[in-house]
Amino acid sequence: MRGLHAYVLAAAGVCALVYGHLLNPYWMHVAIIAMFYGILAASWSLLAGYAGLFSLGHMAFASLGGYTSALLVQWYRLPIPAGMAAGVVLCTLVGAGIGWICLRMSGPYLAIFTLGFAEIVRITFSTEDEVTGGMAGLHTAPLFRAATDLPYYYTAFGLLVFSLATLAVIARSRWGLFLRALREDEQAAAASGVAVARFRTLAFAVASGFAGLAGGFYAHYVGILTPSVGSLDLMALLVVMAVIGGMERIPTAVGGAFGVEFLQEALRAYGQWRLVLFGLILLGTMRFARNGLLTPAWLQFVRLGEIRGPAPARRGVGQEGSGP
Amino acid sequence: MTGPGVLVRGAGLVKRFGGIVAVDGVEVSVAEGDLIGLIGPNGSGKTTLVNLLTGHLPPDGGEVFLRGRRVTGAGAHILAALGVGRTFQLTQLFGRMTVLENMLVPGLTQPGSTWEGARQRARRYLEFLNLAHLENQYARNLSGGQQKLLELGRALMLEPTVLFLDEPFAGVHPRLRDELIGRIRDLHRSGRTFVVVDHDMDSILRLARRLIVLARGRTIADGPPDAVRADPAVLAAYAGS
Repeated sequence: MRGLHAYVLAAAGVCALVYGHLLNPYWMHVAIIAMFYGILAASWSLLAGYAGLFSLGHMAFASLGGYTSALLVQWYRLPIPAGMAAGVVLCTLVGAGIGWICLRMSGPYLAIFTLGFAEIVRITFSTEDEVTGGMAGLHTAPLFRAATDLPYYYTAFGLLVFSLATLAVIARSRWGLFLRALREDEQAAAASGVAVARFRTLAFAVASGFAGLAGGFYAHYVGILTPSVGSLDLMALLVVMAVIGGMERIPTAVGGAFGVEFLQEALRAYGQWRLVLFGLILLGTMRFARNGLLTPAWLQFVRLGEIRGPAPARRGVGQEGSGP
Repeated sequence: MTGPGVLVRGAGLVKRFGGIVAVDGVEVSVAEGDLIGLIGPNGSGKTTLVNLLTGHLPPDGGEVFLRGRRVTGAGAHILAALGVGRTFQLTQLFGRMTVLENMLVPGLTQPGSTWEGARQRARRYLEFLNLAHLENQYARNLSGGQQKLLELGRALMLEPTVLFLDEPFAGVHPRLRDELIGRIRDLHRSGRTFVVVDHDMDSILRLARRLIVLARGRTIADGPPDAVRADPAVLAAYAGS
């Protein structure tokens, strides 16, 4: 059956919705945080995996989105969704600005530049404690006042589906093709008529907007926001998630986020040693499976329907399957 | 030369890299239907001149005109949209994209293009270049000669009025080189204009109707191949190199 993978994923999504209430509070929290990282990993995949722009500032945008929403809600009594939307808009604009400033940077230069940006954001939030609460944290208005986290679970699920659908549409469109061309060779892309500056800026803007969305949700879920959201530690964790899963495809990056988040909790008894384990897995991935551990399985999964279908589709292009 | 029929003109082009003057006041014009061989010893400024004329480098001096319109400093993607195609000295494909995807990138930058339309055009050009059977292969897995053909195909997807080919025969197997020459001739007969840069004099002389010779960033000869080959300045430049 053509598109079998899409039906299987849709069925898994329906199961997650229908049986979500059976999760105990602890695992429900883990699932919500996994979905938060899923949005971040998917959007970072568009930036780093598709466009080849290895930014280390993605968590800083999540932090910026979270603080923007929390502060606007606190100061102006904005409805929380409006605060979150404002965070998304600000992150999109700042992301476009960073993308434009970084136009001539790539590889380690871009990584160091965005790391510098992330540290500026983190230190600013830490230092301006009269506004942000500094390291003590900023108490944020909760999105829901409910006895359980189930409404947050459904909201995180909705935001994840919305993010994945939007990012998938971009990745499978001509924009996605142009972003991959940029990743491969910017000069050749320009010679092919691709407006390199415009698409680099666009990739930064879109990815940063989704990071802001995830950050806004997180701020109004956890109840207290600290500058550590934008720290290098969490950025490294996000990179580990996307790289282990497979950063060049959105579903594998999200799978990596889910896998690492659940493993983090399942292996909690091993304390800091579990982070050593993730480091080793990362080393092994880079050495033996540079496309990520989940990518071969995902490709097999996608081809499953094509092989068994009545008219096998050719491995193809863009809309025919090389997207997510 | 600014009259009708002139597609591309470089007027007094200058490009410096640090203390080196790579292109030094070059005047060049490419007329509609030309098939020009751009030759010169190593380091004579051929690739830099192509980069200036195709928008990949901004000149330090002089102007670039396309059909009489000043395009100096316009980006490469703008010139590509205006019908200036090119290939690179060292093949620059989208290695981890399939052959068909490589073709679709320029195809889909065209205003009003659709996936289906671009796919059909790409397949027509792949047939023409004998690459149709490789459309689902990653570009990086192709042989050197096939990569050169694919790069030509990718440039053709822009439906360019003028094509700059930078060393299209370098490292290409003789059989594929003959195929490439045949395809360039076919395309020229169909009305396209070419500027071909290469060291392979045999191939250039089989193709070109006009030769431009650069040495040390300056034009030292420009004319029919027979006349240029006999030019003492050209002989001296090559003997010197």
